Amino acid sequence: MKAKEAFLPDIIAFCCAQSAYQAADTAGSMRIPYPENIRVIRVPCAGRVDVLHILRAFEKGADGVLVLGCHEEACRHLSGNIRAKNRVQKLNTLLQEVGIDGERVEIFTLAPNQGFRFARIANEINERIKELGPSPVK
Amino acid sequence: MDNGLRLGVFLCDCGGTLSKATDFLAIKANLEKLPDVTYVSISHDLCLERAREAMQKDIKDKGISQVVVAACSPELHENDFMNIIQAAGVNRYLLSMANIREQCFWAHPDKGKAAKKAMAQIVMAINRARFLEPVEQTKISVNRDVLVIGGGMAGIEAAIELSNLNLKTTLIEKEAILGGKLNQFVNLYPVRVTPGELLAAKLKQVDERQNIDVLTSAELIDVSGEVGNFSARIKGGNGEFVRNFGAIIFATGYNTQFSSQIYGFELSNNIITQSQLEEMLKSSSEVKETPKSVCFVVDISDEHSRVSTLSALRNALGVKEKFGGEVCVLCKNLKVDGAGLERLYRDCRNKGVLFIKFDIPPKILKQDGEIRIEVEDVLMSGEQVSLSCDLLVVEETSIPPLDSKVLSSTLNIGLDARGFYQENNVHLYPVASNREGIFFAGNCHADLDLMRALTEASNAALSAYQLLAQEKITVETEKVMVDPDKCRFCLTCIRACPHHAIQEVRVNHEKMVAQIVDLACQGCGICAAVCPAKAIKSKDWSDEQILAELELLGEYV
Amino acid sequence: MIVAERKPLEDIKEMIAGYKKILIVGCGTCVTICWAGGEKEVAVLSSQLRLASKKNGNELEILEDTIERQCEKELVEALKDKVQQVEAVLSMGCGAGVQTIAEIFPDTPVYPALNTKFVGMPEGEGIWVETCRACGDCFLDKTGGICPIVRCAKGLLNGPCGGTNSGKCEVDPEKDCAWTLIYRRLEQQGRLDTMRKYYPPRNFQAVIRPGKVETLQA
Repeated sequence: MKAKEAFLPDIIAFCCAQSAYQAADTAGSMRIPYPENIRVIRVPCAGRVDVLHILRAFEKGADGVLVLGCHEEACRHLSGNIRAKNRVQKLNTLLQEVGIDGERVEIFTLAPNQGFRFARIANEINERIKELGPSPVK
Repeated sequence: MDNGLRLGVFLCDCGGTLSKATDFLAIKANLEKLPDVTYVSISHDLCLERAREAMQKDIKDKGISQVVVAACSPELHENDFMNIIQAAGVNRYLLSMANIREQCFWAHPDKGKAAKKAMAQIVMAINRARFLEPVEQTKISVNRDVLVIGGGMAGIEAAIELSNLNLKTTLIEKEAILGGKLNQFVNLYPVRVTPGELLAAKLKQVDERQNIDVLTSAELIDVSGEVGNFSARIKGGNGEFVRNFGAIIFATGYNTQFSSQIYGFELSNNIITQSQLEEMLKSSSEVKETPKSVCFVVDISDEHSRVSTLSALRNALGVKEKFGGEVCVLCKNLKVDGAGLERLYRDCRNKGVLFIKFDIPPKILKQDGEIRIEVEDVLMSGEQVSLSCDLLVVEETSIPPLDSKVLSSTLNIGLDARGFYQENNVHLYPVASNREGIFFAGNCHADLDLMRALTEASNAALSAYQLLAQEKITVETEKVMVDPDKCRFCLTCIRACPHHAIQEVRVNHEKMVAQIVDLACQGCGICAAVCPAKAIKSKDWSDEQILAELELLGEYV
Repeated sequence: MIVAERKPLEDIKEMIAGYKKILIVGCGTCVTICWAGGEKEVAVLSSQLRLASKKNGNELEILEDTIERQCEKELVEALKDKVQQVEAVLSMGCGAGVQTIAEIFPDTPVYPALNTKFVGMPEGEGIWVETCRACGDCFLDKTGGICPIVRCAKGLLNGPCGGTNSGKCEVDPEKDCAWTLIYRRLEQQGRLDTMRKYYPPRNFQAVIRPGKVETLQA
């Protein structure tokens, strides 16, 4: 009997250039491992990420999406991370409406030197999406 | 089919280290098969001059239209690569980078999986490159005058610094005289001159300079326009007038307030505030009854205030000097974290000032015209100490200047939770506001001692100078732009922009649309994300580029 | 402007069940401004419907277009090419827009993706409130610019009623009493005499539905 191939989630992480992208760099510099199947898209601010970008990510086959931005009150553009948080909340509803588990999208906040935190978040989400299984719309 | 795309991909194996993890030649071979990819090269060290020269030559020789660099993090060398391609004749924004070092080979020990991811990252960068758009730069004339609001030490120092940098400065002060809190303080630390002497010296510097225009009894009413071209409406003795400036520095300081609610009692003839004590110490007339024992209490209404601790210490010295007698300071934290301030504490100790440290606020009782204080001394393991004094000096809380709220709302600059001005980012941009060209110095936004306030004033002046050093400023034009045909003038972007960088304009003599002010725009793209008509494009983070990066989903995992 | 809100996705899915190719049309005027049916919302709805049909294993192709105004015949006619390619049209305009499209293309079913709610204005970011009911017999000259038809729970013309309570309405204590607001506004303008007059019951036939306004050719 052929062994079932373990499911490797396709996860996109939108990383804000002011914090999360640098945290990912820090994780690499410190050789802190995290799953390779998490791919980073750099954005100038978490507030640049549109609800539409994330919906399209699922249309194109994403199993999970992360939005990573600056800690509250630390956003250089003041409200970018809060807007991102509201949008992710709206997305949870939009996804539930089409029968996709809202847990597949999540937002976290980070500082640029939090390499460990980046890796921990990446690992956590990877495990969560593995549990949830492949996206029902792949 | 020629779509005009001739992508050049430059791989760097970081001194040969990354080649050990994977076969770069195989990656090169795969990339060359992709449509629109004209040229792929492998380098060991794109950070070195010779490799960069080779890169420039390749770009020119092969007629490369967009450049993809797969190397270390863009956070390190993106700007350098932008300069390189610009020198080679390609618009500096036609660059896309893949972070195959920090975010691939360094983070993933499994070489096979890392190599697969690197390939995916490079293809993502290539996909993005297809949608890159050129952004032009232009030089625009700006007004090089600076407005400093507030004639206290921070404002005066900023004006002097700006003047030294050959920038014409207008310094406006609400009161009839300059000096701010320096007119109130009895002594200064760590400088060894009196407040009067320091103020006189600074004012002499101001007078000596031709390019500082001082306006007292003058207030800021409103500001319109953006950085490089602010229009400030000022109310002076003769009425209102408008002046134009390139940058603005707020140095409006702070006020003080005693909270009878927090303390649980009102002020009286033997319970006074620091400010009242300072008045008493400065007054040349004899005090009716010289207090024989004076107690200072701080850290009850705000245990984090540096200003109130330093006032207490300086005034304790002042009391010892004028009245002699017993002086005791009760505090929770001794905040002497500035240059020379530890010595202030030692001076107090050497002159016989007693210090009692508490955790639980002391009980203060008035009995028969006498003041009794009961406190648990933390340094004596919580031993109950009981003292009495003739005069109790209580702290005041620092509160924002009266016009902060109004100015914050008319100018759209942020306030923090306590109502003081909010800096853009406490760690990275400590003297910048959320609006380009508007800066803060001194206690109008932070809790500072004199030396720090002066340093900040220099910092703010230099920040303004950085902007206005040249007659013309190089600015990227239309990096983020509103399509006037699609704009519905719903005002959503104008309200959402955190940097007040979008203005209303009329096009073709009829239609009102939103327009982004290039010099004030900080490129966050929030406007592009909120626009309900999809009328705003951010050229280096456009929707097309982001969606192109998503193309690989489902393929490379 | 007209304020509308998107219908729940379940309702929209039911409307287009069975179709394999549809056109979603946005409107660039009122519904763009109240974030309900502009180009962005059209894209979001398309994305959701594609995800939903993929999940259920159905085929669904969606064309998208946003025109300046859906309540204008010439502008709607420009959709002809796209309408001819589809089985049904989902309009993200207000009721007027839906009906204009339906009239220009009577052979194609046209469905409303929005519920048209009211005439109103923004109160804060993302919040719109009703301020006008288009009653056809405007009373605002007598109330200092505050509409009692919309804002008074009882629609009184000679308010306030006896239930006004510290500036709040007795019917809905969360709401401000409109007549208290009207009093204060008229007082500020020195026009309290207006409030002392008696106004007879209003003409509910001021607009005979469906309403019509005719003007001479300019």
